[in-house]
Amino acid sequence: MKLALKLAFKNLWGAGTRTVLNVLVLSFSFVIIILLNSIMDGWDQQAQKDSIVWEFGEGHLLHKQYDPLDSFTILDGHGPIPKNQLGITPILVYQATIYPQGRMKGIVLKGIDSNQTILELPIEKVKTSEAKFPVIIGKRLAESAKLNKGDEVQIRWRDKNGTYDANTLTIVDVFDSNVPNIDNGQIWMDIKTLWKMTDLNQEASFFVADKNYKAEALPLWRFKSQEALLKQLKDLINQKKTGQAIIYLLLMAIALLAVFDTQILSIFRRQKEIGTYIALGMTRSRVVRLFTIEGSMYSILALIVGSIYGIPFFMYLAQVGFAVPPADQKMGIAIAEVIFPIYGIKLVLSTILLVVISATIVSYLPARKIAKLNPVLALKGKQQ
Amino acid sequence: MAEKPIISIEKVIKNYPVGGKEFRALKDITLSINKGEFAGIVGPSGSGKTTLLNIIGSLDVPTQGEAHVLDKNIAELSHNEAAKLRNYNIGFIFQVFNLLPVYTVFENVEFALLLQKNTVEQRRKAVYDALEWVGLQDHANKRPDKLSGGESQRVAIARAMVKRPKILLADEPTANLDSENAHGILKTMKMLNKELQTTFLFSTHDEKVMGYLDRTIHLRDGALEKDIIENKTTSV
Ligand SMILES: Nc1ncnc2c1ncn2[C@@H]1O[C@H](COP(=O)(O)OP(=O)(O)OP(=O)(O)O)[C@@H](O)[C@H]1O
Ligand SMILES: [Mg+2]
Repeated sequence: MKLALKLAFKNLWGAGTRTVLNVLVLSFSFVIIILLNSIMDGWDQQAQKDSIVWEFGEGHLLHKQYDPLDSFTILDGHGPIPKNQLGITPILVYQATIYPQGRMKGIVLKGIDSNQTILELPIEKVKTSEAKFPVIIGKRLAESAKLNKGDEVQIRWRDKNGTYDANTLTIVDVFDSNVPNIDNGQIWMDIKTLWKMTDLNQEASFFVADKNYKAEALPLWRFKSQEALLKQLKDLINQKKTGQAIIYLLLMAIALLAVFDTQILSIFRRQKEIGTYIALGMTRSRVVRLFTIEGSMYSILALIVGSIYGIPFFMYLAQVGFAVPPADQKMGIAIAEVIFPIYGIKLVLSTILLVVISATIVSYLPARKIAKLNPVLALKGKQQ
Repeated sequence: MAEKPIISIEKVIKNYPVGGKEFRALKDITLSINKGEFAGIVGPSGSGKTTLLNIIGSLDVPTQGEAHVLDKNIAELSHNEAAKLRNYNIGFIFQVFNLLPVYTVFENVEFALLLQKNTVEQRRKAVYDALEWVGLQDHANKRPDKLSGGESQRVAIARAMVKRPKILLADEPTANLDSENAHGILKTMKMLNKELQTTFLFSTHDEKVMGYLDRTIHLRDGALEKDIIENKTTSV
């Protein structure tokens, strides 16, 4: 093994440019795989944190008929607040239509206690307003409906009996959150105001649980834990990760193809050398091993070269973060404007293993041929 | 001296498949070579010299008949046993030198020893001894592409001899050398033959080589034509 390493290194060193190229391409694979995945991991962690403080709390207690992903369930998915249940903040969801600049736009009204502290939502701002219907909205709705702080907007809704009602909302604040789920198409107000508007006094569609919440069997409600809520988020991010994998798997395929190609070529061109090794008393399997190690050595060198330019780059990125392009901000998952990548041991080790093992395999496949080589013909340099 | 021959070939036939037919490159060859001989297989191109040498060197096997080298039946050796036989006991010298280009002279010579169990110091000493035999001590750190043809073949001799093999097989070692260099390496090999008792077997059609040989085994069209030992002709 030591001999093979030494020989492999000498042979690679002697091969010059070709080695440099293979090593560079392979090192790009290393760096890109770690880069993309570390950004995704950073995003994942940031999204989890943001989602907990802006949306999930310690979990959601949902009305059995209310499904946040299905707006048709809003109409019936609410019920009276259960008595004696600790640690829950009620949220009532209601559909309405607003008319910003005369255009019609369907939205969801969400009422929440203006004294709540479980979510980061700055709903307390409505308390100090003189307006009749003070509300807050997120930056995304503000942008899409062209509404600003201080604006007024017409709203129409049906009360619980189906009778249309209309009034004017005053936007007292536009909040900036990384979580689009609590922003897109939503208007937040004090739940008491919403109760009055809809005549659904003391009712809620779901609750945000806090640390004081203790699970109790309630016939009308079902609890979705924080982990369950986060899992959806994780699944979405994992889906994205899989999509990204195509990019670096393609890059890696190119790098591995280059190694494979070099191996084929070197076995073709180095027939005499192979014959000489055998004549000098090397067993064929040892020559196979030598050529295999030579190929996997590319990945080791790539690891070294990749570290030389990758580590400073990664450290820089960990400082300044990765700016997310505006287009990506419109996705349905929580995403910050700047993501700070996370370099996990697991990520780094599995990347190293992936590249080294696959480089070894593509080196071994062509090298296997040596075991069947006729040394006499190899010494003559005849292609077999 | 009734010592057993170091190489003994009995009724060896070697066929090569050529265009669906069998081409017979060696036709019923029987001969034996004793320890310490300085012999050569001579004959025109295509007469089967290399084929016979490769069988003796365990790089190839006879189609029929038996080849015993150092009491081992070549045809019965596994890949690994054959490799071991070559590594310890058989040295090769080729017409085209076949030095390993990325290694230095020292490393080329050291190579066979790396496959054996030797300490660094043992290897170093053995390599410098071998380089001294061929007069190249001062070239140890050169790369093969910086050497002349004569120097390259000397390195090849050092590489083959460093492990002090029992048998040295030299396939047309002078074909790529000028007359002066050819005589040089032949003298060196003759000296090693005397000093180390190594059995030398050449393949050649070079008159210069024949002048040094104690024995010439003549092949023609794959058959043994005559075997001349120190001017005593043995008819076949
Ligand atoms: N692998 C092979 N396949 C087919 N024929 C072969 C093969 N190797 C050798 N031969 C044939 O066997 C015959 C003997 O070849 P060999 O190489 O032993 O000759 P040689 O005496 O060494 O010749 P030279 O002096 O040219 O080296 C030749 O006719 C050659 O064409
Ligand atoms: Mg020949």
